[in-house]
Amino acid sequence: MSQGRKGKLNYRCPSCFMRDLDIDMFYDKEKDEFYCMRCQYTGKEADVLEKNEMVRFRYRDMAKRFTKFDFD
Amino acid sequence: MDKFVVNIIHRPEMVPEYAEKVTGHGKAEDIGRKALLTESLDIFKTQQECAHKNGLKTTIQMTYASLFNDEAVALAKEHHEKYGDEIALTLLGLPCTEFREKYKTKDFCIWMFSMEDKMSIVDDVFGKFHERFGFYPESTGSYYMDADLTNYIKSKYPMVKCAVATCWEEGPKAYHTCNNSWYTFMDGGPWAPWIPSKQNTHAPAANEAEDSGIVAIPHLSRDLIACYDGNGSNFGTHPQNVLRGMIYDSKTWDFPYMYNLIDQYRDLEKYNNGYAYNMMFVGPGWMNKMGRWEAPYELLLKSYEDGCAYYGQLKKEGKLTDMTMSEFADYYREKKGVTKGVYTEPECALWRDILYGSEKQLFWYCDPFMRACVNMDQGGAIVDLRPYAAKLEWKTGIGTKHVWDASYPFLIQEKYRAGYFTHYAGEGTVRSAKVCYNGEEVDLCLCRTKAHFSEEPNADGQGKTRILTLDPVDIEFYDLTVKLQTRVIFEEGSSGIKIERNILEMSNPDAEVEINEYIVCCYGTTEYSEDMNGITLCCTGDNETRTITYAYKCREERLADAREVSAVIPPIETKVSLTAQGKDFTGYVKEGYAFSPMLTLGYTTTLRNKEVFATCLKVEKAN
Repeated sequence: MSQGRKGKLNYRCPSCFMRDLDIDMFYDKEKDEFYCMRCQYTGKEADVLEKNEMVRFRYRDMAKRFTKFDFD
Repeated sequence: MDKFVVNIIHRPEMVPEYAEKVTGHGKAEDIGRKALLTESLDIFKTQQECAHKNGLKTTIQMTYASLFNDEAVALAKEHHEKYGDEIALTLLGLPCTEFREKYKTKDFCIWMFSMEDKMSIVDDVFGKFHERFGFYPESTGSYYMDADLTNYIKSKYPMVKCAVATCWEEGPKAYHTCNNSWYTFMDGGPWAPWIPSKQNTHAPAANEAEDSGIVAIPHLSRDLIACYDGNGSNFGTHPQNVLRGMIYDSKTWDFPYMYNLIDQYRDLEKYNNGYAYNMMFVGPGWMNKMGRWEAPYELLLKSYEDGCAYYGQLKKEGKLTDMTMSEFADYYREKKGVTKGVYTEPECALWRDILYGSEKQLFWYCDPFMRACVNMDQGGAIVDLRPYAAKLEWKTGIGTKHVWDASYPFLIQEKYRAGYFTHYAGEGTVRSAKVCYNGEEVDLCLCRTKAHFSEEPNADGQGKTRILTLDPVDIEFYDLTVKLQTRVIFEEGSSGIKIERNILEMSNPDAEVEINEYIVCCYGTTEYSEDMNGITLCCTGDNETRTITYAYKCREERLADAREVSAVIPPIETKVSLTAQGKDFTGYVKEGYAFSPMLTLGYTTTLRNKEVFATCLKVEKAN
C-alpha cells in the first residue's frame, strides 16, 4: 500500500468536526477514500460532502438575515 | 453622534501561518522557498486591493520578515501615501530565515519567549522597522501581548499607542479544536477595545497609574455566544473563519451570518454611549492559492471581497467610520472619557443568538474590576466571572510559571466547571438563586427569560448605573405559583453586581417562600480543578465571625444576620463576597469535597408577596 496523502482539497473529518475538532483527513489512493487518523471515519469524497452538509444541522439560522437584535 | 468604527488590518507575512505546514504537505520544510515568498506578497496585495476598492483604509502591520523585502516596504509606503493607510508593526510573522538563524528557535509567539528574548526581539524588530521607514510605529500587536511586553515596548518606544492584544476566549477550546496541539491559552479578556492595566493585559486599567499607555484591540470581533461555547476561530469578523465553521451555503457560497455578526456589533452602540467597534484582520495564510480545507481559493477570495464590500457599503451609507489603529486609539480615549481621567466606563453587550435558532440571550459586562456574563436562558444567572479587581500579575513565557497559559483566571466558568448542575454528584460554578416552598425547590437557572437594558446616572454624579430588567418568570410549585422578577444592577466603579428578586405576585397572597441566593465558585483557567487548600471561607457578623479553612471536608457554617459571607482565594489574590440588604436573613458558607472541589457563599431569607430581596456580589484584591 502507498502512503496516505492529502487530497487536492484538505477535507476535515466530518465526524470530528461535529465535536469541534479540526482534523485533516488523508487520502488512500488504492481505496479511493479519505480516512481520519483521530477517529474511525472513512469515506469517499461524496460521503464527506454529504456529511459536511449534515454538520450544518445546528446552524438553524445560517441563512437568515437579522434586522433586530434585542427583545424590546 | 453614534459611531461604528472598523479597523481593517493586513500584514505582509512572508511565511504565512499554515501555508508551510498545511499546504506544503509532502515537501521538506523550507521557509525561505521563493514560491512561498512570492505568493505571500501577492495575497497581501489582493487584500489591500479588496479594502481600497471599497473605499476603506487599512493598517499595514509589517512583519519582521517583510522588513527584509524591498517590495513589501515599497508597497507600504505607496499605500500610505495614496490611501492614508497606517504603516505599523506586528510581532506576528516572526519566522523567517533571518529570525531562525538569530534566535535558534521555532517559537513564534512573542508572549511565550523569555523576557530577555522578548526585549531583544522587540528591539530587533522595532530597530529594523526604523531602519526601513525612518520612524517608529504607533501601532503594534500580536495574538496576545503580556503586560511585561507592553510595558517594555511603551518604555522604549513611547509613541506606540495601539496594539492588537488578545484573541477573545481562545483557551482550552482552541487547544481542543487543534487536536490538543494549540499550546497557548488566552481566555478571560475583553471582547472589545480597552485600556490594559500595567499589571495584567486582560484587566482594564482603573486609573491613570494603572494605564499601560496603549489602547488594546481584540484580534477580531467575535460572536459572544458561539465563541464562548465553540471554537473561537469559527465565529468572528474573519470571513475565512466563518468558512472554517462551515457557516455558508455550499451551493451559493452565501454567508449572511457574517453580516449578522457585523450588524449585531453595530447594534451594541445602544449599550455603550453611542459607540460600537469591529476589527477584521485576516492573515495571508487564509487566502492561499491552494485553498484551505474544503474551501477552494475562489471561495476564500470571494468571502474576503464580500466582507470588505459590506464594510464599504456601510461606509457609503454613512453607517461606518474606517480608521487606522492609531486614529482609533485617539478616538477611543476621547470617547471613553479617559482623556478626562475617567477609566470606569464599562463595555456592555446584550447579545442574542444569531446562528443556532435558539433566541438565547447573554449580557456581557467588562470594566476595570470584573468581566461577567449574565445568561438569560438561565434566569439571569451569572455564568462567567473574572475578578479583574485583583489585577493579578501573571507573567507569561519561558522562565515564568505560565509558559503557555496567559488566561485570566475565572471564579465562574459554566463550560469548564459545569454551571447549573445536572450530573451525578456535586455542583457547578454559577451565581443564581433557589426558591423553596413546602419542601419543593426551583432554581432560577431553569426559568428562561429575556432582558432589557437601561441606565441611570449615579447618585454622586460619577458615572452611571446599568440595569438589566428581566421579564418576570412564573415559578410553579404544587399549590403555589410565584411571579418573580430579577434586576441585575451594575453600578459603575463599584466592583460589584447587585441582584434584586422582586415577588410581583403569588397565587396565594399570604404564602411565604424561602429564597436562597448563592454563588458556587472555584478558580482556574482550564477545565481541570486547581488546589483549593488554604482558601478561607468566612461568615462575618457584627459580633461574631465563623471561618473555615478549605480542606475538602464538606463543612458548613451559618450566621444569622451575617454582614458578609466571603472567600479569600490566595492563588489568585482575590476576595469574593456576598452582602445582603434588608433584615432577617442568614448568611452561610460551604466548603466542597474531593469529588466537588467548589465553594459556596449564600444568603437565605423568607419573602412574602410584593417583597424584594437584594444581594450584592463583590470582587476585591486580597493580598
